[in-house]
Amino acid sequence: MTATQGIGSPATDKGPAIEIEIRNLSKVFGDGPRAFKALDDIQLDIRQGEFFTLLGPSGCGKTTLLRLIAGFEQPSSGLLQINGKAVAGLGPNRRPVNTVFQNYALFPHMTLAENIGFGLKMLGKSRSEVASTTQEMLKLVKMDAMADRKPAQISGGQQQRIALARALAPRPRVLLLDEPLSALDLKLRKEMQVELKRLQLETGITFVFVTHDQEEALTMSDRIAVISGGQVLQMGTPHEIYNFPAERFVADFIGDTNFIDAEIVQYEGDFAQVRLPGGVVREASLPEGFNARVGETVTVVIRPEHASLTERGDLQATVENAVFFGTDTHIHLRLEDQTPFILRRQNTGVSVAPPEAGQHACIAVAEGGIQVLRS
Amino acid sequence: MDDMAGNKTEQATEIKETPKRHLWNWILCAPALTVLVFAASGPLLIVLVYSFLAPGSFGGITWSFSLEGWFRVFFSRDIFDPEIVSLNTAHLTIFWRSISLSLQTTIICAILGFPTAWFIATRPQHTRNIWLFLITIPFWTNLLIRTFAIQEVIRNQGLINTTLIRFGFIDTPIQMMYTDFAIFLGMAYVFLPLMVLPLYAAMDKLDIRYLEAGYDLYASRWQVLRHIILPLVKPGFIAGSILVFIPSIGAYVTPRLLGGGRSMMLGNLIELQFGQGRNWPLGSALALTMLVLVVGALVLYIRTVNREEEPRHG
Ligand SMILES: Nc1ncnc2c1ncn2[C@@H]1O[C@H](COP(=O)(O)OP(=O)(O)OP(=O)(O)O)[C@@H](O)[C@H]1O
Ligand SMILES: [Mg+2]
Repeated sequence: MTATQGIGSPATDKGPAIEIEIRNLSKVFGDGPRAFKALDDIQLDIRQGEFFTLLGPSGCGKTTLLRLIAGFEQPSSGLLQINGKAVAGLGPNRRPVNTVFQNYALFPHMTLAENIGFGLKMLGKSRSEVASTTQEMLKLVKMDAMADRKPAQISGGQQQRIALARALAPRPRVLLLDEPLSALDLKLRKEMQVELKRLQLETGITFVFVTHDQEEALTMSDRIAVISGGQVLQMGTPHEIYNFPAERFVADFIGDTNFIDAEIVQYEGDFAQVRLPGGVVREASLPEGFNARVGETVTVVIRPEHASLTERGDLQATVENAVFFGTDTHIHLRLEDQTPFILRRQNTGVSVAPPEAGQHACIAVAEGGIQVLRS
Repeated sequence: MDDMAGNKTEQATEIKETPKRHLWNWILCAPALTVLVFAASGPLLIVLVYSFLAPGSFGGITWSFSLEGWFRVFFSRDIFDPEIVSLNTAHLTIFWRSISLSLQTTIICAILGFPTAWFIATRPQHTRNIWLFLITIPFWTNLLIRTFAIQEVIRNQGLINTTLIRFGFIDTPIQMMYTDFAIFLGMAYVFLPLMVLPLYAAMDKLDIRYLEAGYDLYASRWQVLRHIILPLVKPGFIAGSILVFIPSIGAYVTPRLLGGGRSMMLGNLIELQFGQGRNWPLGSALALTMLVLVVGALVLYIRTVNREEEPRHG
């Protein structure tokens, strides 16, 4: 059976091998006038052994994409390959992929151990192998003391661990996780984030993780695909996605952001000189494949923590209020053209007093802190 | 009872069970309790008493203690010499027929009911009610009429036999009326909805994600059915089996019309004792034997079903 082929292929090729290849993938639900395009021409390469996150707002098509990979739904058009093999038409039981369901879907009539052993049993493994792997998995998720309980007798966080163990037990090539942490409270969630990352590194299995929580995506992922309205807007490392958002939606969805109108004065390669409100000209980076024109007004992004209050700055503003958050203070300002601007100052010393409302302030933007958006 | 109520208050500590509330609960229960006591326990008590009395010569009873009624359930006396006692094979045959036909009916209803219920449960939400409605149509017509209709189909000059003869498959009609098969067919037809409805209710609650999780973990369709669907709809099977088995074992109209005098079931035997037989104590003893049989079967059934559910290790 293909399902249990070991993970990690011989390291013959140069770059990391592609585990899941998605080309022009579309999914339409229903037909006629009620047809709805849930996924629109998706292109994705998910690499072997990486922690890949699908990030997007509710209803953007994340679950649909995951279900296509798992085999619960068939694509309307396009190509889907897992480990170099087209999987069109194969059911979920014939793909080397396992899913951790959003609400875990642990079998209520089986003990935790039976839940974990189910996949192996279905693959026809011997009793002793099922038993030993189940034990191993229970240890891996630190649940070996409760092997004989039923799912209804354990907490949400524990169910989560069992769901993970159940999906990992058959050693799939790819693990799909659909918002596995969304039902947990904040503290447990943080713990499980660490745990998930540990499991992924320990097993070396490719994780495809779905979330609508941008912080979760940033902290856990090797790479992120930001999805909206059934389309992949941007794909890249958390660093790239956060610091170089290519579209307004991406910038807005991930972190707090300031959007400012600026005029392109000059450009070369990936960089441009832009004139900020107030006349100061600064260097800004351009998104990939951006068609810049001199004199064009564009929107630029400045992250709140890339700006600071100084004597002589790039932008002139008036302080509206300051909100103290303990580790840092958020200062809300308004530029001369009334554009709101938020700035985050880290509270490195106790004595730093927040600026007073109504006070005039100059904002300096850190080197490389300005990014032009695709309009 | 008191003990249970006490336990309950201990567990649900948030709900204050004040004396006033307690009284109110009893008042609310009163009408149902009254009906139960007078309509169920009362007659049962009378039957119990009758079974230990001697029969009156024109039916009814005479008020003298006698174990003859109970004795006659299982044994019969020689007509000429009452001292010669033998097993009452006629009664035992009827017991056996009742149990075996009821079991067969329950099993065939489960086998036929499962796909039917599954079919309904997997229809789009708005069309399910139509299917459920169709399932209950037989209940709209009187049981007698429905049974006569079955007679029309299976009797020697009925639909099946005339068709088979017309097309030359057989020369002489197949005797179906007045056989165990006729009773079996009639009961399966009458009681099938009682299996379908609780099965449907169980399937309706079945979360589709359990099936997806099963497929995801490499189970085939057959394995999903065996390891996931069947165990999860088991409560529906249990409820359906009880609902079919109990009325089957006490069935009266169906065996009377389709089984005739030759294939009697317990219900008919009991009726016979209260009617033509004029032996009320025997009838009462038979009725109570049936009660014990049903309760025993239920306890046994539920025990085995639950034992399977226990975790195998630990
Ligand atoms: N079976 C279906 N039939 C019709 N439309 C569907 C179906 N499944 C999903 N959709 C639609 O496709 C879109 C994407 O759904 P999907 O479940 O993938 O969203 P999601 O990104 O997972 O959202 P969430 O974060 O809320 O889980 C939604 O607008 C949804 O209404
Ligand atoms: Mg979803």
